[in-house]
Amino acid sequence: MKSINKLIIAISITVGASVTSCQKLNIPPTNIFTPEVIYSSEAGVKSFLATIYQNLPIEDFKYRPDQGFKTGGNDWENFYNEAGVIGEEVGPFGGMDIAGGFGYWPYGDIRNVNTLISELPKHVSTLTQSTVNALLGEAHFLRAYYYFGLAKRYGGVPIIKEPQDPAAPLSTLQVHRNKEQETWDFIGSELDLGYQMMPETSDAGRANKYAAIALKSRAMLYAACIAKYGSVNFVDGPARSAGLVGIPADQASKYFQAAYDAAKALEGHYSLYNANSDKVQNYVDLFLKSGSPENIFIKQYSIANQTAHSWDATMSPRYMTANALSRSYPTLDLVQLWGNLPVTNDDGTPKRFNSRADLMQGLEPRLLATIYFPGTTLRGLTFDMQRGIYPSFSGTAAAEVAKQPNSRSYILAGDTKTLYQGKQIIGFTGPWTGGDELTRTGFYVRKYVDYNKPQATVDLNRSEQPWIDLRYGEILLNRAEAAMELGNPTDALSSINQLRTRAGATLYSSIDLTKVRNERRMELAFENQYYWDLKRWRTADVVLDRAHFKGLMPYYVFNENKYIFLAEPELFNREYTFQKQFYYEGIPGGEIGKNPNLLPNNPNY
Amino acid sequence: MKKLISNFLVVAAILTISACTKIDNYDGPNASFQGNIISSAGGNLQTSGGSTQIKLQQIGWTTPQTIPSKFDGTFEDTKLFKSAYKVVPTNGAFWPVTDTIVVNIAQGTKHDFTVTPYIVIKNFTTSLTGTTLTLKYDITAPIAAGLPTIKDTQPYINTTKLVGAGASIREYSDALAVSINKNFTDLTDAEKSVTLTVPNMIPGRTFFVRVGVRLSDSFNSSNFSEIVQIDVPK
Repeated sequence: MKSINKLIIAISITVGASVTSCQKLNIPPTNIFTPEVIYSSEAGVKSFLATIYQNLPIEDFKYRPDQGFKTGGNDWENFYNEAGVIGEEVGPFGGMDIAGGFGYWPYGDIRNVNTLISELPKHVSTLTQSTVNALLGEAHFLRAYYYFGLAKRYGGVPIIKEPQDPAAPLSTLQVHRNKEQETWDFIGSELDLGYQMMPETSDAGRANKYAAIALKSRAMLYAACIAKYGSVNFVDGPARSAGLVGIPADQASKYFQAAYDAAKALEGHYSLYNANSDKVQNYVDLFLKSGSPENIFIKQYSIANQTAHSWDATMSPRYMTANALSRSYPTLDLVQLWGNLPVTNDDGTPKRFNSRADLMQGLEPRLLATIYFPGTTLRGLTFDMQRGIYPSFSGTAAAEVAKQPNSRSYILAGDTKTLYQGKQIIGFTGPWTGGDELTRTGFYVRKYVDYNKPQATVDLNRSEQPWIDLRYGEILLNRAEAAMELGNPTDALSSINQLRTRAGATLYSSIDLTKVRNERRMELAFENQYYWDLKRWRTADVVLDRAHFKGLMPYYVFNENKYIFLAEPELFNREYTFQKQFYYEGIPGGEIGKNPNLLPNNPNY
Repeated sequence: MKKLISNFLVVAAILTISACTKIDNYDGPNASFQGNIISSAGGNLQTSGGSTQIKLQQIGWTTPQTIPSKFDGTFEDTKLFKSAYKVVPTNGAFWPVTDTIVVNIAQGTKHDFTVTPYIVIKNFTTSLTGTTLTLKYDITAPIAAGLPTIKDTQPYINTTKLVGAGASIREYSDALAVSINKNFTDLTDAEKSVTLTVPNMIPGRTFFVRVGVRLSDSFNSSNFSEIVQIDVPK
């Protein structure tokens, strides 16, 4: 009887299944957004834009030049920065570890923008013409931003303006590289479109028309320098003969003019941050206060959305934070751009200081706001940098530094607990050679560090201050450099002096290209610009030719109860060399495998 | 039921074991390529780490590979796939070789390249007085016209026979570099014969010494002298 029941059940299941099995599956998938959903409202387009913005090649706090752009919730190692291989800082990189790049190839993101550009005009009825135009302008800006990220790495790349059809024949999908000049021209014309089509204002974190023209001033300056300096200092190869890298020298002035005009277009719309009459505090706040009239385009972070960065926890020593460690430190070479520090007397002996903080007297406010000097305080704690103790000190600074370490009479220590006659030998903030979590140079980064954050909250992935990707300060520098190259020193001088006024520096009465470039280095230190500046000026292989960098080591002289400062090699004494082939990165091997039409590769790859 | 499961496992095990019995039908990388990079001025081109390479481009493949030259100007790679390759010496301090040749590389393939060095170091002599080492040599150029600017010249000193750029004691080597930054044709005869002194050599040690001249070509490459052994007496 039981078996009959089973049989009945089995039969009913089979019959039931076969009867219902031929239902057509015509329910649209619920986890894929169709164009109708995206483009039916501005909010829909906005959500699509968010992905495109998130992946923009913005070299921010989290950017790791050897690994790429980071958008995750735990990309905390913010000390792996560009500054640490080019002499602004020394950091965890053992040498020129970033010049090979990370195989950046964002054609997936570019496809997203291309889709947006081809779809938007079809939805004028739901979105209105003016919204569509504004969004199209934004899309052109975004596309230019991606191509800029490619062009500065590889030179000429394939320009793809429409979403490719995956079913198209392989020959049309394997696009050849465009010439380098065509690539920069495309970036310029895309940014012009952005400038024409976008409105004057935008939500924070999104671009407006001025962001487009600001980026254009940067991009055209790159193109101009590649034309001018890249035609003198280059590595030859088939890619160069074909124009895939390099721009003819006679094009330089055209691009300098474009950079100048673009920078000038921002005049009157943005201004330097000048809210505080205390010049040091003003320059510190420029990077921390929202609503600054200097900010043209920013990138925001959020703890709630798991995109926060870790600048505060990784730029200051553990002594002043709640977690983690620091690993990259400003060099004395950078500090000396502002002039030599008054640490030696005329007879060559080290100057004696009653307190470490006395060193800062008379220094430029911008320098003090960029770098934490010995004797400053953060979160109630003092930067007490001290490399060691001299029981007594005689002779000149130069002679002392030239000695072999074992014949120097100083007393060093492996930790902060070791005392010399009751006096702490090394500072809580270093310098120390036992590791690299305390300064190797005697300095710490101050720019962008949020001094208001209570120490207990200075943890990993807990910093939300925005990255200022385009600010008016840079625009003035772009303008001054372009003006100088075009033979208009008067205009260059006035731009530079605007910056120097805000910085609290003495004003220049005359100007030359070296001064303009040095001003750029000082104003934009740690902002991930100098690496690319060195590349476009084609000076990297000269500046970074077996280069070693220095620190400023504070010592306590015991019998005099004074401090002295000695300029010494940074404690790891690492070497940095930039090969000429690095002016361009090689096209990623995996991409050449998929598309052999990308050959010839850049010279010497 | 248990039996069913165990039967099933047995079948699965047999399938797993027998699945991968096919042997890779391609040859392993058992071809080799070796030879000398000969200087047109005589002998092998003296090189150093991270400089001269033989670049091989396998025909029908996109990514090139390289064989680094040894310090004595020889090269050898015994783990290559048998095939036709376009080969060319590159990255060193010699006039660029523009015509690549095609070599069928099989087991034991040998090939010598002849290159024209930018700079040939002649009359290299060393003398030790106390702990101070004096190095004298003449800088000559087989082809002077169009030579890249000469950046600097320096000694290279190490405690092993592997001595050259990136393999030297900094205080005795890079720190003693003398900048030149001139074209060869603008050098006076006095500037072409160089004397370098290396002070404070450590007594009782053996050092290996050579000198180099660095040029601002595409690779910032250097021409080197031969390597000399120096025993500093106690």
